[in-house]
Amino acid sequence: MRVALRGLTKKFGEVVGVHELDLEIRSGEFVALLGPSGCGKTTTLLMVAGIYRPTSGQIFFGDRRIDHLLPKERGIGMVFQSYALYPHMTVAENIGFPLELRRSVSNEERERRVREAAALVQVDALLDRRPAQLSGGQQQRVALARALVKRPDILLLDEPLSNLDARLRHEMRGEIKRLQKEVGITAIFVTHDQLEALTMADRVALMRDGVLQAYATPTELYARPVNQFVAEFIGTPPMNFFAADLAPRNGSLVARTEGIELALPAGPRGAKAPPTATVGIRPEHLAIVAPGQGEASGEVYVVEPMGREQIVDVQVGERRLRVIAPPGFVAKIGERVGLRFAPEQLHLFDPASGARLA
Amino acid sequence: MATVVERPPGSGRWPSLVPYVVLAVGTLPIAVLYAWLLYSSFFLRVEGFTPIGPFTLENWRFLWDPLSVPELRNRPPIIPLTINTFIFATVTSLVGVLISSMAGYAFSRLRFKGRRMMLGGVLLLHSFPSVTLLIALFVVLRTLGLYDKLAGVILVQTAFALPFGIWIMKGFFDNVPWDLEMSALVDGAGRLRTWWRIMLPLVKPGLLALTVLLFVEGWNQFLLPFVFMPSGSQQTLSTLVRGILGEGRFVDYGLLTAVGLYYIAPVLALFVFAQDQLMRIYAGGVKG
Repeated sequence: MRVALRGLTKKFGEVVGVHELDLEIRSGEFVALLGPSGCGKTTTLLMVAGIYRPTSGQIFFGDRRIDHLLPKERGIGMVFQSYALYPHMTVAENIGFPLELRRSVSNEERERRVREAAALVQVDALLDRRPAQLSGGQQQRVALARALVKRPDILLLDEPLSNLDARLRHEMRGEIKRLQKEVGITAIFVTHDQLEALTMADRVALMRDGVLQAYATPTELYARPVNQFVAEFIGTPPMNFFAADLAPRNGSLVARTEGIELALPAGPRGAKAPPTATVGIRPEHLAIVAPGQGEASGEVYVVEPMGREQIVDVQVGERRLRVIAPPGFVAKIGERVGLRFAPEQLHLFDPASGARLA
Repeated sequence: MATVVERPPGSGRWPSLVPYVVLAVGTLPIAVLYAWLLYSSFFLRVEGFTPIGPFTLENWRFLWDPLSVPELRNRPPIIPLTINTFIFATVTSLVGVLISSMAGYAFSRLRFKGRRMMLGGVLLLHSFPSVTLLIALFVVLRTLGLYDKLAGVILVQTAFALPFGIWIMKGFFDNVPWDLEMSALVDGAGRLRTWWRIMLPLVKPGLLALTVLLFVEGWNQFLLPFVFMPSGSQQTLSTLVRGILGEGRFVDYGLLTAVGLYYIAPVLALFVFAQDQLMRIYAGGVKG
């Protein structure tokens, strides 16, 4: 089922929760609503669910406009952050509850479908337990089964992994992604964790202060962020930024600041080039080289081994740049090093608006 | 969920006894009162705290031979009175709980015009002494044709119980996470079904506690039955006790204590059995 949001706006009194949101979700697509807390992502989800009434704008499921319908008329299944399992019911009763409300489903069919849904998420051995007797991961699975048992057109997930510990989160991440593709259901999930969004979603909608910042595949979002906020938000460790003066030289541009001089192969051309820009480069696109070589020089500030790689902070003049170094790299604090910038991986942003320049 | 009470480390046997001793001394007068009530009912006379004469069941003969008790001769028989009291307490409690749980839910979950003002009103009514309304109520009941009828007093008693009940139930509903309700709505339930299937089971401790409290309140109520049911047959036990105490030139204390004990026995029993439920009204919470 295709989902379309058109000019969706939600105000709480004077406060704007979501502003003029336009979003198209293809049938069978898995989309993440990503952003810091208070960015309007959960508000958006609750409008799609029918819990919040939009202040203005439209929501379409397929060709049908549904923003005036009650939640129960929308054909959605939802998993809440807290899982919202009914504590007074057994697992089987929890999963069966959505069907209990449908007269067309007989008791036998309900039981069969409860078992089916439970088997799908591997909780079929727990049907007689109560939610309080389950682990966090099991509760999550039961919530998924309850959301899927009525075969909804659209699955909504609100921060589905945030209540799990790190190991379980990793496991459920893959599990939910596989399940979504296996069932082939259109799904929207809300998260504040960019890693979750990147790893699970087909496309990511990044929001800030109620406004959509970017809507693209994880690869696009990572490789070509449309503004500085997107560049900052996506990727760990985060991208390095520094202000630089731009000057033409030999028909190309050079970005210059204390301790750094970069030739820009694909900088903004001609008269449009502003005098200054914010330069961004990801830690993995910097390499530590011998002192005197590369485009910048500085000294090692701290080294953090991560096993597979090491994060090295290098002090360059006033600023500190984060670099990913191979595990074999050895350096003492204070040691002088050079930095090589991968030239195709530079991002330029307008210092005032944060918009991408090149 | 079980609560584990642990002795604070380092505290020996003796220091922990101190609070018990203090409390025991403080409670003693009340315990003595009840003890006096109990043994007075089994002796014909008691002077101060000393019983005079032999042990006797004479005071309790109103149970099997009410006509031989002069104080009760002109009064309605005790069994119908007990049934009246029971009906009065049960109906006010059940109707009160039903209305409180619906209103409490609405106040807790729905945003409607005048909600704040009505909540304030409920609180105000709760602190309103019912005595001041007696005359107005009398007029209302007479107009409705409910004066001197059990139904009328039940109506008044229920109304007086509502502010407290609504406030308590609102508190219990406030403790139920919003997610559960949203989830029920998404799962396909309407408001009414959500209330019935999801919310009510989760506030069951509150419902039980409120039922018991309102029952006891109804059982103990004296003023309303006394004022609004003057003509005998519809009276309750509290008015009977008052009658024994108030009329006649000298009071048969033996009879009074026996009838009094008979009157409070159900309440005491209820408290013993429902203690756990009653505690929760102050603890709140919906932990499964």
